[in-house]
Amino acid sequence: MTTRREGVVLTASRAVLVVAGLVAVSAAAIRRPAPPSSAGGTPAPELTNASWLNADRPLRLSELRGRVVLLNFWVFTCGNCTRTVPSLVEYDRQYRERGLTIIGIHTPEFPPYAGEHDKGNLVRALQRQGITYPNAQDNDRRTWDAYGIRYWPSFVLVDKRGIVRYTGYGEFHLNDGDFREWDRRIARLLAE
Amino acid sequence: MLVATLAAVASCHGRPALVALEAGPPLLLVAAPGVRINARLKPALELDGGTVLRFDSPHLTPDSAYFAAAPTAAPPGGARRGTLRVSICPSREDICRSVQMAAAW
Repeated sequence: MTTRREGVVLTASRAVLVVAGLVAVSAAAIRRPAPPSSAGGTPAPELTNASWLNADRPLRLSELRGRVVLLNFWVFTCGNCTRTVPSLVEYDRQYRERGLTIIGIHTPEFPPYAGEHDKGNLVRALQRQGITYPNAQDNDRRTWDAYGIRYWPSFVLVDKRGIVRYTGYGEFHLNDGDFREWDRRIARLLAE
Repeated sequence: MLVATLAAVASCHGRPALVALEAGPPLLLVAAPGVRINARLKPALELDGGTVLRFDSPHLTPDSAYFAAAPTAAPPGGARRGTLRVSICPSREDICRSVQMAAAW
């Protein structure tokens, strides 16, 4: 869970409340896709979300064996997420017919009052972004927690056997270094 | 003055401060250098009793993703504490993360 409670320090004489922040993490550690998971990998936790868009019925990883699956944890209020979407749309265009399934796991940051839980808002966001691959509403963060995700956006690449092979996080753009790295990984798993 | 205060807190806690809430009225939410506050998910101050205040500012970055000036909120008289939620997107990290903290003013 990314949300943390942080301490506060009050300097009453100046009526200023200062909130201590989180430990900074280096840009390199954040932005680069993580190295391959250990040999053999770990089984990808099953998806249990009930509400889906761009899918006729709830998707389950167990039914996607034989396909490579890229999970994208995102939320439409996150600029870093929406700026990465064109890259995902490009992967979808390029690789769907060759065996890649991209699944958006839409995980709200704030409580329902912020509107991120609303299905209609998500529908409009998908239309706005030209997203036609399936998206699950992860309003209770069940999938987010199952995968131990901490940041928006994050990515998990699952091989044809249902094993987590690569994870990473951070915005990237069409044809930048991270885009090409994820592209190589997708192609590698599709070739196995 | 505020930057100096932030630095002092960072030193005391061994970690950098990311946002500061300056008492008003109105309350002012100030980001540390390099920290962007998500304007598409306006910061929220959840008061005791269930009232939720949203911070806002008319000054946004050109892509409307972040606040270009510190957003403000005006709590009702008598309110002195609550829970602050902020979506922060440090400019060098290219991610967003959610911060939740108790606040008093």
